[in-house]
This record gives sequence, C-alpha cells and structure tokens, in this order.
Amino acid sequence: MDPRGGNPLRKDNPCAGRANSDGQLYTIEGIAAGLIMIMTAYLVVNATSVYTAGDTHISDMQLEQLGSDVLKIMDTPENVTVNSELQMILGGATVDGARFKSRFLALSNNRTQLNRDHIQFDASYTCRKQDNSTVTIPLSSSRNLTGGEHAVRVTKWVIVDKAFCDLPATKPRAVLVEVLMWRD
Amino acid sequence: MARLNDDAQWIILMGFLISFSFFFLAIIINQSTVVGQTTAESVIEFPKNDIRDITGVITYNTTLSNDPVVNTDISVISLNRKNAIVKYSVTLPLSNETHSQAFIHYNNGVTEYNETWTSL
Repeated sequence: MDPRGGNPLRKDNPCAGRANSDGQLYTIEGIAAGLIMIMTAYLVVNATSVYTAGDTHISDMQLEQLGSDVLKIMDTPENVTVNSELQMILGGATVDGARFKSRFLALSNNRTQLNRDHIQFDASYTCRKQDNSTVTIPLSSSRNLTGGEHAVRVTKWVIVDKAFCDLPATKPRAVLVEVLMWRD
Repeated sequence: MARLNDDAQWIILMGFLISFSFFFLAIIINQSTVVGQTTAESVIEFPKNDIRDITGVITYNTTLSNDPVVNTDISVISLNRKNAIVKYSVTLPLSNETHSQAFIHYNNGVTEYNETWTSL
C-alpha cells in the first residue's frame, strides 16, 4: 500500500472517487527545485565569463595612441624659432601631401623588427569659412577608403601662419588635421 | 505534510540555508563583472587625446592662441568635426608679469573638463 496516500481504489480511502491530489506537494517541490537548479546553473555559467568593454577596443586604443603620437612628433618643432613639420606641410604655398604621406607612413609603420607594420591612412584637414561653416580638404592617403576598414580617427590641431578657406588676408589660422588609420 | 516523515527537517533547513547562501555568493560574483565593465568603459570613453590636443595647441604659444580668429577657428571646428564644445580665454602677461594664463573648457556631452593653466 502506498504509505503516503493510501490506495485510491479502496473504499475506506477518503480520497477515493475523485482525482488523487496526494502528490501535489512533491510536484511543487520538484518545480521549485528545478527552478533553483536552473537559476544556479545560469548564475554559475554567467559568473565565469568576465565581460569588459576593453576586449574588443584595446587594439583600437593602441592604434589611436600610436597615431596620436605620430602626429605629435610631426607637430613638434626642432626648436622654438622654426616651424614644426606639420606647420611646414600645411603652411607652404601648396599643401605638401606627399611629404605628409612619407613621414606619417615612416613613423607609424616603424617597428623594432626589420619588417614594417601594415598601417594605412587617409588624412584630411578642416578649416573654417567666413560664415562659420567648415570645409574638409583631402591631404593625402596611402589607400583609398572602401568602407570596409576598421579605422580609428586621430586628430591634431595646428596653428599655421597662412590664410585658409575664404578669409584671404587673415592669419594665423587654426586647422584640424584628421587622420583615419587602420591595419590592412 | 501530516503523513510525511518529518524527522529530518533540520537537514532540509540547512540545505536550504546553504543553497541560498550560494545564491547570494553567485550574485555577488556576477555583479563584480559589471563593475569591471563600467570601469573599462569609462576609461575608453574619456577623450584623453582630444583634451591633450586642445590644451597642447592652446598652451604651446599663447600669443598665437590668443588671436580671436584662431579662437573662433578652434571653437567652430571642434563643434563641427569633433562634437565638442571648446571655449577658452588666454590672458597674456602684463608689463610687470611673466606668466600667461589660460582658462580652457571642454565638453563633449559625456565628459566635461575644465583647466586653469599658468605658464612657467
């Protein structure tokens, strides 16, 4: 005989004749235990994976720092009486994109090993017009942008003793050099 | 529960206590990863290079950056190309002074940065 509920078929069982509800407590307990086990498994599995936003962005940050350093080097003059290289590139009669390209590639792709890195760039500079709109003019690039690159943007402010955009006689002017750089 | 054998209820009770304490430990471990994530994100979001660039160009030569055209250039281009509000003012040294001063304000919507700079 079932020790918990008695035999439902026996006439002296008070539950005889209707649905047997003897197992309800066990069912509820089973459901509760199941939920507890599922939640515990979920929490344990979740706790082992440490999400940090840095996982995907550390290489971007390094590339950005590298590009920032390269532009800083190019904007540092040899002494206080001469212009920096970036000022010379932008401040000449014509903007010297070829010089920017060779310098930037040399500085950014330099490695301690013999083989060079594979950083490509697309550079432009932005000046302000009289009506406070801005114009972005291509400076130089080592590859054409296709849209598939995973590029980071680095920028450098340069104050150049030259008139830009449609303010012909006004100088010095501040322009923003923007470089998109990526590894291919 | 009348017909159940309830002799070992304290064992069940201890089991519950221990499993609930595991719950809380698991939740604490789980939350600790969120702390790491927000810290890493705030480091990434801080516009370190932008701020260095702005302060660098303003303080390198205060005679140049004091020029009103240059000042407007920097404000307008910052807003257009870098989505940041930059306002600064430069005080050049008077005849009996040797230091120039700059007050630099930077705000890109996430990070607000103010600097008072005095030349050596």
